[in-house]
Amino acid sequence: MPKHIVSGLKYLTAVELRKQGHTQREIADVLDMDRSTVSHYLNGRNLSWNSIEIAETITNLCPKDFLLLTYALVKDEEKTRSIVKTCSKRKYEVHINDTCIGCGLCVDLCMMNAIVLKNLKAHIDSNWCCGCLICEERCPTSSIEILEV
Amino acid sequence: MIANTKEVKGKDFDVKRSAEEKRELIYKDDICVGCGICENICPVEAIELGSIGAIVRTEADESKICVDEDKCVLCGMCSVGCPVDALDLKIDDVSIKTMDSYPSYISSAEIDNETCIHCKACEIACPREAITIARELPDRSKLVTGEIEVDKDTCVYCGACEEMCPADAIRVDQDIDSRDIEIDEDKCVYCLVCKKVCPVDAIRAACRTCSYGEYDIDPADAEIKGESFIDDELCVRCGWCEEICPVDAATVKKAFKGELNIDQDKCTTCGACIDVCPCDVLSFHQASKPGEIGEKVEKDETFCIYCGACENVCPVEAIDVKRTDIDYTPTKSKSWKNKLESLKT
Repeated sequence: MPKHIVSGLKYLTAVELRKQGHTQREIADVLDMDRSTVSHYLNGRNLSWNSIEIAETITNLCPKDFLLLTYALVKDEEKTRSIVKTCSKRKYEVHINDTCIGCGLCVDLCMMNAIVLKNLKAHIDSNWCCGCLICEERCPTSSIEILEV
Repeated sequence: MIANTKEVKGKDFDVKRSAEEKRELIYKDDICVGCGICENICPVEAIELGSIGAIVRTEADESKICVDEDKCVLCGMCSVGCPVDALDLKIDDVSIKTMDSYPSYISSAEIDNETCIHCKACEIACPREAITIARELPDRSKLVTGEIEVDKDTCVYCGACEEMCPADAIRVDQDIDSRDIEIDEDKCVYCLVCKKVCPVDAIRAACRTCSYGEYDIDPADAEIKGESFIDDELCVRCGWCEEICPVDAATVKKAFKGELNIDQDKCTTCGACIDVCPCDVLSFHQASKPGEIGEKVEKDETFCIYCGACENVCPVEAIDVKRTDIDYTPTKSKSWKNKLESLKT
């Protein structure tokens, strides 16, 4: 059931955020849940292990599938961003060539809101880049290079 | 998925993309000169120039350019490259032509209202009908001075004065029951024609300007007031107004410098270039005396904006337009700089 998989993804995100030192209140705000549910999640309750396993499988898919599937399940851009950023285990290095014409297509396409235009050139925040390569694929001038590090 | 939408209104169209920001490319066909710079500058080959010669000469119901909305990425290069503002890219309803981060041509046309004598020469000369001179002429009555009077007892109401009056200042009612004569002193120019034509000497009139000079006429009353307007959208900065202005009130700054060369041997005198030129630069030779043979197509390069529309439309490649210098505001983007520089030929 999609709802259970979403719970699994939220569980994984909550655990990861707790590891990073966030309070239950902060985690509840990020995932738009009430605090008691967060508390249950962190204690491994109210959740089937099977959902968590599927959620884990999803986080290990290629970044584009992870992102698109998460969005399809969660149906909320803000929450998708939080889940993908928190559960993404890979890091990326981004380079924009001078051939960039600043058309802003990548800005519009980036579901992670990681791209801004400055002086008619795209700038990608590698902290937020999830490596989905949607921007690289659609860039009309092939100016984007994203490498896993 | 992010996709563009296209809205066609007659020969005009808008291409839009709405997401984080709203990007809209607006095309106005009546402003387009068909130069093809947009087609050259487009980085994704989304623009196709139509058969400009046929469209212009047959007034065909067809846009001069076509933008493929599936290829267009709404970068705005065509809008910056367009020398006449037929294309305009707006981001969140603000034209990129007003944004500092985007380069733009340095060109302008201005009429100094203080110097302008509102003679309308520029309005008549402008090949794009972009200039309007709104002028207010002085009261005629303040430019002449005199006296006029009718002796109604002597007047026979023949109407000769009314017919002769060049200023349309006299009204005569010849009806037997309501005979009357009226002279409108605001219209009268004291030419004394009525006085001279009157068969019974009923009109007494004198022109003071003739006998005493202009001492009781205030020169301030003779001033022509007015204002000049240049429609920035229609203006192509060709320089006709600057050249024709008798008092140097008009100044035009062009964005391109270049050369226009016509190969008279290749020219077949089809006249397509003449029809397409937005600046009235080209013309067929007008013989000033019998038997005189001039060049096939003559040019007055003073007014050329080096847009290249004539070169594109020429079926026999007899025209060569060179752009040697392009004046634009600086940009930090290398790709934009390269693209603008590529317009030099």
